[in-house]
Amino acid sequence: MPGFDFSNYNRNAALHARGAPLPKATSTGTTIVGCIYDNGVVIAADTRATSGPIVADKNCEKLHYIAPQIWCAGAGTAADTEFTTALISSNIELHSLSTGRPPRVITCMTMLKQHLFRYQGYIGAYLVVAGVDPTGVGLFTVHAHGSTDKLPYVTMGSGSLAAMSVFESTWKPNLDREGAINLCAEAIKAGIFNDLGSGSNVDVCVIEKDKPTQLLRNYMKPNERGRKERNYKFARGTTAWLNQKIISKEDMRKYVTVEELSANVDLATVEKMEVDT
Amino acid sequence: MDKLVAQYTRPPHQNEFYSEQEQRALTETLPPLTLKFDLPPLDNSPAFLRAMTDDHSNPDCPIKLAHGTTTLAFRFQGGIIVATDSRASAGDWIASQTVKKVIPVSRLSRGEDKPTDAPTPGLLATLAGGAATEIRHKRRITVAAASKILANLTYAYKGMGLSMGTMLAGMTPQEGPALYYIDSDGTRLPGNLFCVGSGQTFAYGVLDAEYRYDLSLEDALQLGRRSILAATHRDAFSGGHINLYHVKEEGWVHHGFQDMNPIFWQTKLEKGEFSNVTSEL
Amino acid sequence: MTSLWDNPSQAETVGYSFHPSTSGSIREHSFYPYTDNGGSTLGIAGSDFTILAGDTRSVAGYNINSRYVPKVFKIGGDEETSEGANIILSVVGFAADGRALKERLDTIVKMYKYQHGKPMSVKACAQRLATILYQKRFFPYYVHAILAGLDEEGKGALYSYDPVGSYERVQCQAAGSAASLIMPFLDNQVDFKNQYIPGSGEGLALKPKKQEPLPRETVEQLVRDAFTSAVERHIEVGDGLQMLIVSKSGIEEVYTPLKKD
Repeated sequence: MPGFDFSNYNRNAALHARGAPLPKATSTGTTIVGCIYDNGVVIAADTRATSGPIVADKNCEKLHYIAPQIWCAGAGTAADTEFTTALISSNIELHSLSTGRPPRVITCMTMLKQHLFRYQGYIGAYLVVAGVDPTGVGLFTVHAHGSTDKLPYVTMGSGSLAAMSVFESTWKPNLDREGAINLCAEAIKAGIFNDLGSGSNVDVCVIEKDKPTQLLRNYMKPNERGRKERNYKFARGTTAWLNQKIISKEDMRKYVTVEELSANVDLATVEKMEVDT
Repeated sequence: MDKLVAQYTRPPHQNEFYSEQEQRALTETLPPLTLKFDLPPLDNSPAFLRAMTDDHSNPDCPIKLAHGTTTLAFRFQGGIIVATDSRASAGDWIASQTVKKVIPVSRLSRGEDKPTDAPTPGLLATLAGGAATEIRHKRRITVAAASKILANLTYAYKGMGLSMGTMLAGMTPQEGPALYYIDSDGTRLPGNLFCVGSGQTFAYGVLDAEYRYDLSLEDALQLGRRSILAATHRDAFSGGHINLYHVKEEGWVHHGFQDMNPIFWQTKLEKGEFSNVTSEL
Repeated sequence: MTSLWDNPSQAETVGYSFHPSTSGSIREHSFYPYTDNGGSTLGIAGSDFTILAGDTRSVAGYNINSRYVPKVFKIGGDEETSEGANIILSVVGFAADGRALKERLDTIVKMYKYQHGKPMSVKACAQRLATILYQKRFFPYYVHAILAGLDEEGKGALYSYDPVGSYERVQCQAAGSAASLIMPFLDNQVDFKNQYIPGSGEGLALKPKKQEPLPRETVEQLVRDAFTSAVERHIEVGDGLQMLIVSKSGIEEVYTPLKKD
């Protein structure tokens, strides 16, 4: 079954009318920007995701892949930006396979706006679409209600005003690659420091004609956490317990495969997670 | 014409600053004996107060006041037992686990406050009124009279948005053990046994089942403790510590301010109650 | 659903600004005198000192009003230098109400000194603050106040208030927007809640770790760790940490920068 499942809609509306609170979706508060230069285009984003006033993710990725030479920066409801870009990415791939040509940015933008317009703003995705195709360099914004813009430099999200103030005061025509990256990074930093919905690091994506696209993840890290002053390790036996049950390795083998690991080898079977110390 | 204009013209900033009297009130070291409440500049100030502070009807109200509780008091042959929990909640936030909800009004009788926000000034007024009466009549105020003073006070503020439920317990030669329930609606009821607050139903469940007037002191204290424990177990807005008092004619005796958690596990593990809570794996 | 914009209702209703509403019906404008300026405060009492700390950011919605607006004040000292003060007050919530409250208490404590020729005790000041708050029971100050000083025995004293004056002497207290992040940490690390002495017994006999006043060095470290952690996870907390420490040698002020994002 394609599309959304509305079967709980009436129930949830009735619950809400009786005072049950709606679940909070993670919003990517966000500053996202884009800027074209001589031979390509740069998009950039901060990495904070919020849920109300709480930081839900300190280092999330807001730059989404559409096609090798087309990328998207997303603001608004996190799930909507992720699923919408994934859907359009999939359709773009099929379209390009069927036509046998590289996909165009304007095609992607049109598909996005038609999809979003159909849902009348209920899909809360605010996007910056950027890329390079045979017709040249493209940079657009797409709003959740379906309106679009085509500009040499763009900003979106709650930090858009802070970021735009950087563009409006320092942008000049005919930027080179480095100039465009620096300008975008400065604009994101304005959002990070002056908008509460944006924070942490700067991600950058550079798309240039006849060159592989570069995703510069955590291009800048202006907000690293300092060391904690105390050690919060508890002595063994600090926690009270009611009962205990020991499950031996032999018991485990009945249900799952257990592999012996040697203690000193750092195995690459699991992706390493960042952990606060 | 000029005369008319003069008559109806006021200097533009006449009411802008504090009057001399207001300035004096602002710098007064001692609070005024009568509570001169500041009111918002509105016709309907209770509605404003409700919109700002009533987290029950509007969970997103900006100002969350400390509320919630279970308290009980009952008369028995040896006097009066007063027991309370010690939790204060502001919305879904536990504001404190160590509130002293029993307020000694005098060395001999006690007032006791429940699901109230700032309770003390109200009771201090009773205290002041009571002290005055004691001085005037050269004998101790009766519980009946003291409770009436408090009820008159809450009745005077009826509808303004006060929120309190209190029990006044005391023992005098004229009355014996006396217990009154007074709330912010102006209600005043004498009785043998009261439970007040968000956990009152749970406390009544235990108290009504086991209550007799001829309870021994030991059993009465245990019943008070067990009733509050039941309430802290089932009511999310009650918890913390169990505070126990015994009021007698010679004065009151404090029987502890104990953490509710070990009492619960003791009750469960040693007496086999609360069998619905399991620790099986 | 969390919206991007400051005013969610704007994003949700489709409004056409070129057709101004022509209905002549009476529009009610509700009286809303409060703003939440965010931020957080925290106090911990020790055996011969008390620390009150607060971040220095002031916010409105997603905007930062200022990166340095103190939330912790000295009470009853000299007008310019705050010399002679022995009580400190922290207020978080609506900054204007907080300021008004501080000015009022400050005046009263000074008047007390002029009239009685001795400084007001923390205990008296705590009671007086409660009556100031309660006087506005029907038009509350939108603040969570914490008062700190040294008691008659020279021990650290800390008083925590609700907006209408219900107060209590406590060992430690967090207030403001990140209180729900900081207070559980304090319960565990200052009051040792949920910590037991390893090997002290089995089942019910297991003894809880006893609460005792912490040394000043430890408390300062806890305060800084509490705030650097709150800054990580709460968007309204940041920029700077202002710590005021009352001890018998007077009031000391320490400022530590915090992350500014």
